[in-house]
Amino acid sequence: MTCIIVHEQYNIGHICTRLQCERGLGAKTAFRWISAHQERVDYSFADLDRESSKFSTILRSLGFARGDILFTFLPKIPEQFFCFLGALKLQAICGTLFSSFGDEAIVDRLGDAGAKGLVTKKSLLKKIARVRGQLPQLKYIIVVDIEEHISDDVLSYPALMRKASSDFTAPLTAPDTPSVLHYTSGSTGKPKGVLHVHRSVLHQSRTAREVLQLTGSDIFWCTADQGWVTGTAYGIIGPWSLGITQVHYGGGYDAKLWLDLLEREAVTVWYSAPTALRMLMREDAKLYMGYKLGSLRHIFSVGEPLNPEVISWARATLGKSIYDTWFQTETGGIMISNRPGLEIRPGSMGKPVNGIEAAIIADNGEVLGSGRQGALCLKSGWPSMFISYLNNDTIYNQKFHHEYYHTGDTAVRDSDGYYWFKGRSDDIINTAGHLISPFEIESALLEVEEVAEAGVIGAPDALLFEKVVAFVCLHKQYDWSKELEVKIRLYVSNKVSSMATPQEIAIVDSIPKNKSGKIMRRVLRARYLGQDAGDISTMED
Amino acid sequence: MELQDRLNKVFREVFDEDDINITPGTTANDIDGWDSLSHVNLIVAIETKFGIRFSQKELLTFKNVGDMLNSIRSKLKP
Repeated sequence: MTCIIVHEQYNIGHICTRLQCERGLGAKTAFRWISAHQERVDYSFADLDRESSKFSTILRSLGFARGDILFTFLPKIPEQFFCFLGALKLQAICGTLFSSFGDEAIVDRLGDAGAKGLVTKKSLLKKIARVRGQLPQLKYIIVVDIEEHISDDVLSYPALMRKASSDFTAPLTAPDTPSVLHYTSGSTGKPKGVLHVHRSVLHQSRTAREVLQLTGSDIFWCTADQGWVTGTAYGIIGPWSLGITQVHYGGGYDAKLWLDLLEREAVTVWYSAPTALRMLMREDAKLYMGYKLGSLRHIFSVGEPLNPEVISWARATLGKSIYDTWFQTETGGIMISNRPGLEIRPGSMGKPVNGIEAAIIADNGEVLGSGRQGALCLKSGWPSMFISYLNNDTIYNQKFHHEYYHTGDTAVRDSDGYYWFKGRSDDIINTAGHLISPFEIESALLEVEEVAEAGVIGAPDALLFEKVVAFVCLHKQYDWSKELEVKIRLYVSNKVSSMATPQEIAIVDSIPKNKSGKIMRRVLRARYLGQDAGDISTMED
Repeated sequence: MELQDRLNKVFREVFDEDDINITPGTTANDIDGWDSLSHVNLIVAIETKFGIRFSQKELLTFKNVGDMLNSIRSKLKP
């Protein structure tokens, strides 16, 4: 077994780069970068170590130190990895943002975190420029695709890297040192900053080995964006802590390109998401003829429940099962999973992984036996457990009761110990694996001049698992039109993110609220689904 | 205004990017943020701005901007 902690050094950046070189893997390919236009560049672990160290020295020269927060706001490109690991080497905290985020989403996250720096692309600068005035603590913006500095605080990454020294060794880092920051949506209020520590590498490494079953000869492809916890935990930390070669592809979903990539790169372990797998399932069966995917050992899935028919399709078409895994931003790594060596129960979440104790708990705190639905909880203390919601101790403490972390999911455990997802205990929408807050979308909708009231729900969707459905009540002087639909769509997309754009917009006369003015989303959901709304005695007249 | 210029204007609005300059060969890989979700916004915006409707079958045949331009052009013919 690979020992990843040497001389008590827990620094993730060090473990994923320098330690691999010290293990004799310096010349081994850390990742093959494949651009959207199919250009291919290999980076060795020595390259990864050098480039990330150069970025560490850049940050240090700009005055960054332990605990300072840097965000990346990038699509999947090599600089994402160098900056992420370079920041961690310096003991700075690295947050990652989806490049599809809009103005409000950026302000909420960078503002709450008090971010000192941001790494981004030229095409995304316009969004930053619009909100820069609301981010007084943001000192530096580093742009990866401009050759020269724009100003004293909008800097060129290539220019900085040309002059940077790679002479940098990560300081000895204790396991409880803050490391990675991901923001996650809540059903009320602003997104919460989920803060992890360097100790998380223990669990991410262990699950990469025991669940994903990665070995030194594997070629691993994790399709997740680095804005997502999967993209950092298993697109960076887990595999590189073990010296595993990865493929990183900068393009979006394209069935033929994906199959070409799986075959040509001889991918052995593939980690993707149910929505992508369902899209592949919808492709013409002829597409799969002629591909030789003999190298592929295992396929894993994460993000939302994997329906049994996708597993059946994969067995028939790809000749492989798909192992569904479950975890959250807060858990930092896989908690419950199907995995090789464990019989798959299609549609189930699988069983808790080694070192994880799960339980189903009733509202009164009773730990329930098999067959009974309740809150899915985890015994606290696993290595990749988040240590706080940044600036929000109250909400953090509310998540823990009697040594159990309450995940917000409801589930059932069967008599054989398999867990089955039943739903969320809040109004969070899971669309294509992304957790979206209805509150954020409603807030954006209310900023559209024509909108008087808005309520947003997640509704079942065959492809996305859930889709965003917006109920909108217009001011009396306005009429609904196709132009207004476009205006609303683009406003939400540019303000929050493309993921948050309503798939359906229903125009209604009023939004159901309780007597204290809170939107009754369960009533909206029942109406949409044609179901009984249940007790509406608290609804305002 | 040329059809391509009119379409370029829609692209700039949808993707919130003033530097976009589409060509018939432009694909989703050339424009940051052109993913399956923003594609829905793009299609709805094109249909509205040009006063046309695409069928589901047509949408599946679009491999690049050139395919879109051809489809729009055919629908705008008097």
